[in-house]
Amino acid sequence: MNEANSVLQAFVWLIPFLPMLGALAIGIGFISGKNRGESGENQTTLIANGTALLSLLIVFAVDLHAIVIGVPGQLELAQWFSSGDYQVNLSFNLDTFALVMMTLVAVISVLMIRFSVNYMHREAGYQRFFMIMSLFMGAMLLIVMSGNVVLTFTGWELAGVSSYLLIAYVYDRPVAVKNATRVFVTNRIGDAGFIIAIFLSFHLLKTLEWTEIFAGSSSLTPLGNNILAASFVLAAIAKSAQVPFAPWISRALEGPTPSSAIFYGSLMVHAGVYLIIRLQPVLENSPIIMSTLAFIGLLTVLYSFFSNLVQTDVKSNLIFSTTSQVGLMFFSCGMGWFELASWHLVLHALWRAYQFLHAPALMHLMDRKTRPVHPLLKRQGWLYTASLQRFWLDPMADWLLVRPIKSIAHDTERFDEKVINRLVGLPEQTTAITSIADWEMQKSISQTAGLLSKDQPVKGWHSEAEKQEVSRGHGFAGKLLEGLADMLFWFEEHLVLKSGGEGLLKLLNLIGHYLLQIEELLSQPRYLMLLILATFVVII
Amino acid sequence: MIAETIVSEWTISERTTSEIMIASTDSTIGFPILSILLIVLPFACAIILLTSDQLKARWIALIAATISLLISLIVVFSFDQTNPGFQFIERLPWIPSLNIDYIVGIDGISILFLPLTSLLFIGIILSSWNSIRSMPRLFFILLLLLETATLGIFVSLNTILFFFFWELTLIPIYFLIIYWGIGANRRYAAVKYTMVMMAGGVPLLFGFILAAFNHAGLNHTGSHTGEPAGELVFDYITLLNNPLPAELQTTIFFLLLLGFAFKAPIFPLHTWLPAIAMEGPASIAAIMTGLKLGAYGLIRFTVPLAPDAAQNYHWLLAGLGITGVLYGAVLAVSQTNLRKMLAFSSVSHVGLVILGIASFSTQGLQGALFQLFNFTLVAGGIFILLGFLHHRTGSTEVVSLGGVAKTMPLLASFFFIFGLAGLGVPGTNGFIAENLILVSVLETHTGAGIAALVGIVLAAAYFLTIYQRAFLGPVKNDVVSTAMDLRTRELLLTTGFCVLIIIFGIFPNIILDITRGASEGWINLLKS
Repeated sequence: MNEANSVLQAFVWLIPFLPMLGALAIGIGFISGKNRGESGENQTTLIANGTALLSLLIVFAVDLHAIVIGVPGQLELAQWFSSGDYQVNLSFNLDTFALVMMTLVAVISVLMIRFSVNYMHREAGYQRFFMIMSLFMGAMLLIVMSGNVVLTFTGWELAGVSSYLLIAYVYDRPVAVKNATRVFVTNRIGDAGFIIAIFLSFHLLKTLEWTEIFAGSSSLTPLGNNILAASFVLAAIAKSAQVPFAPWISRALEGPTPSSAIFYGSLMVHAGVYLIIRLQPVLENSPIIMSTLAFIGLLTVLYSFFSNLVQTDVKSNLIFSTTSQVGLMFFSCGMGWFELASWHLVLHALWRAYQFLHAPALMHLMDRKTRPVHPLLKRQGWLYTASLQRFWLDPMADWLLVRPIKSIAHDTERFDEKVINRLVGLPEQTTAITSIADWEMQKSISQTAGLLSKDQPVKGWHSEAEKQEVSRGHGFAGKLLEGLADMLFWFEEHLVLKSGGEGLLKLLNLIGHYLLQIEELLSQPRYLMLLILATFVVII
Repeated sequence: MIAETIVSEWTISERTTSEIMIASTDSTIGFPILSILLIVLPFACAIILLTSDQLKARWIALIAATISLLISLIVVFSFDQTNPGFQFIERLPWIPSLNIDYIVGIDGISILFLPLTSLLFIGIILSSWNSIRSMPRLFFILLLLLETATLGIFVSLNTILFFFFWELTLIPIYFLIIYWGIGANRRYAAVKYTMVMMAGGVPLLFGFILAAFNHAGLNHTGSHTGEPAGELVFDYITLLNNPLPAELQTTIFFLLLLGFAFKAPIFPLHTWLPAIAMEGPASIAAIMTGLKLGAYGLIRFTVPLAPDAAQNYHWLLAGLGITGVLYGAVLAVSQTNLRKMLAFSSVSHVGLVILGIASFSTQGLQGALFQLFNFTLVAGGIFILLGFLHHRTGSTEVVSLGGVAKTMPLLASFFFIFGLAGLGVPGTNGFIAENLILVSVLETHTGAGIAALVGIVLAAAYFLTIYQRAFLGPVKNDVVSTAMDLRTRELLLTTGFCVLIIIFGIFPNIILDITRGASEGWINLLKS
């Protein structure tokens, strides 16, 4: 058993990392110019398919191992990083559910990548597409296999990045890239929940390993357990597009069909459900969170049912029915039927993958008229509008979050320019001479102007008008220096100039020049000096 | 009044030196390697001065920077990770009448800044290879001087020596901005920067002198350090081993905090950074955002010299940190210029580092240090890349860009990777640092930690929004449609930075192992 486990340990980490390495290899190939263009398609295909297949083979080997010898369970391979008592391992939790999920993800991913080879042929971003797909496959496998919270989060985030890249696949279409940004930022809110969950597991349970979190959750206070469960649930509902995060998934349809549809419809939306099913021991200790979960699931079912009724294209139809199915899974989890939810998950993922692959072909074969308005919606006009508007979830988010943040940003910018800048730094750059070089330029211009018009006397070095122009004092320190400069100027003119020689005059002129320069520099940050003075006063 | 405090309070904080974890050992290598590191670059400057060939200057500069990288790598590889104290210490008399010695040495906190600084400067030299057309000799001389001063800051173990290098950075920066800046108001920016930094120097010097006088007073009344009575102490290790009296600690804490806050920059003293990013050359912007000397100063001097005060005012540090995180992030949202956006995002990231420091835990400090190393690679790298873009399109304003990914796919891809590292996506070095900081901040300052999470969501929003507007979408401008993608030299340089970003993201223990000993020592110093 031990020996078999050690063989397993040597290979199991390859399952998620092989596709990622494949993605890296395609990326390097593209950077070095080795696989660009149509001629590079073969090489790209080989890498993407090869790594995916190899990964699938190892998955089968692990499955076989599980059937023959027994389920491997928790495997700790190495330490990833540590600081103080915060230690993150490279560990995998291969219980029966993880084994099923990992097989499912690997099979669907391999099929998806294989299917795309023909579908994407001669597309401009061929290499990029397969890089994203390989990265996504690795990320999904990491989510279902990982043995600790941080590693799951790693897969979680990488899946988010690959989804961004896929939605923005046609990057010169403004709608596509705008949707990609929106989707990523929405998911990021869920990620914040995940980070809080990581912290709570570390802080309350002193562990990051899933098995120990499940074991320790019963020892937590109800409040601690509720918060822990709520943070995970936040992450899960954002990833699985539940209300109120539901709108992102319809934006995600921008990617190249049908692979991207599988990407979301069959794999990524289920990541949240997977997390929830995993968390069964934690959730069972928090009845409040369980009922919230059921409620959210139910809301999502209603939301997607009505929104679906008014959709007229097959892709939107399918994606809304996907969300409603996922909503049902959340509902079953909330009711405590985790076993049912896991069955539902697996079967639904398989069924959707099949359906999404067929959808475009179906459209070719069938010539169907637009569906009439559903009788229920016909009777209730407001419901029809609401469904068409998808219950205003997107405008609501805009109104509640996006717009306030944008206006706060503009206000802050004005505050930064008008208040902070003036308080800390220099005067407005347009109103003052900022350096001696600028000043010299102005002087030379005025001198040439004076030379050109002979009737006006040429302004001297120390003519009154120019002195005022140059040595304007600002603030306390500035005024003080101005007074000092005036005194020195008087000294120079009355005592030294009348008795001194030519050389001294030049030297003094030079010194005066520098003094004026220094004075000019010092006169500006008036508030700054005041601030420092104030600090001294406060401290002493 | 201060003098009275010193005399009356010193007995309270009297501790035996054996309690203090900071031990000092002498150089493990026979020869003064850190001094050689400091001498190589000015020496190269002299050679550049002697040659009349303008084109040779860049080669000499590159060779000198590479040698300094090699020397710093030798230091890193012969560094003893198990020793939490200072290593490679060299001591020479400098100003005996004031008891100021030339003391250099490194520990786990400062050591990694040496190779990363050298690497950043190599990157800058390579990125300026053809783009500096006027006075290349002077440009490279100033650049090497700046590198010398920066390395000097990291190795100094004497407060006056540190201050000397600290102020020395201003001269090259001023001239680099006014001569090679790209904005119309570069002179204004250069003056602003210099003035702000000079102002920051005042409290810094005052704080160092106050600490030195305190020791002079100490030894008068009762010598427990073995130092000759009445001598000023600027030696960092001696200062560490003899904690200051409580009230003086508060004064010194605020003086040093203020001094370093200017350079970090901490809100509300950040206004010079956007100005420099907009007006200065790409190289200076890369240095300003890549090397956060102010945050280093906080870790090296402010907290260890005034540990009790720092713990009393942890809320102030955390407050400044979280204000910076949110303020920078919110401001970055409304920017339409890539450089300005990155400047504000840098303010936001520094806020996170300050939060990490304020949590006073091993994870927080190691995360903060990790994040400071990341800046060199990520912020430095992204500004170098922006320099390439600016060189091609003449602008980093989103209106004059758009669709960059179409004609320059490599540039756009690398910009995205750097951006992901800035967002802290797993697989990049940014994730490890952010993760460590957040976990410890959520524990010590839960409210600030949750607010920082908001900042992280905002970070995704501002980065992706501006990325979408500048790099994606249809090509709208002729400059963009005719521009060339990265050339081989530029590609190699950017790839090098990216490889390190990913390597440190996948094998973070390389860095964490080096900083571990010193960080734990730093924490123990606070707890003792």
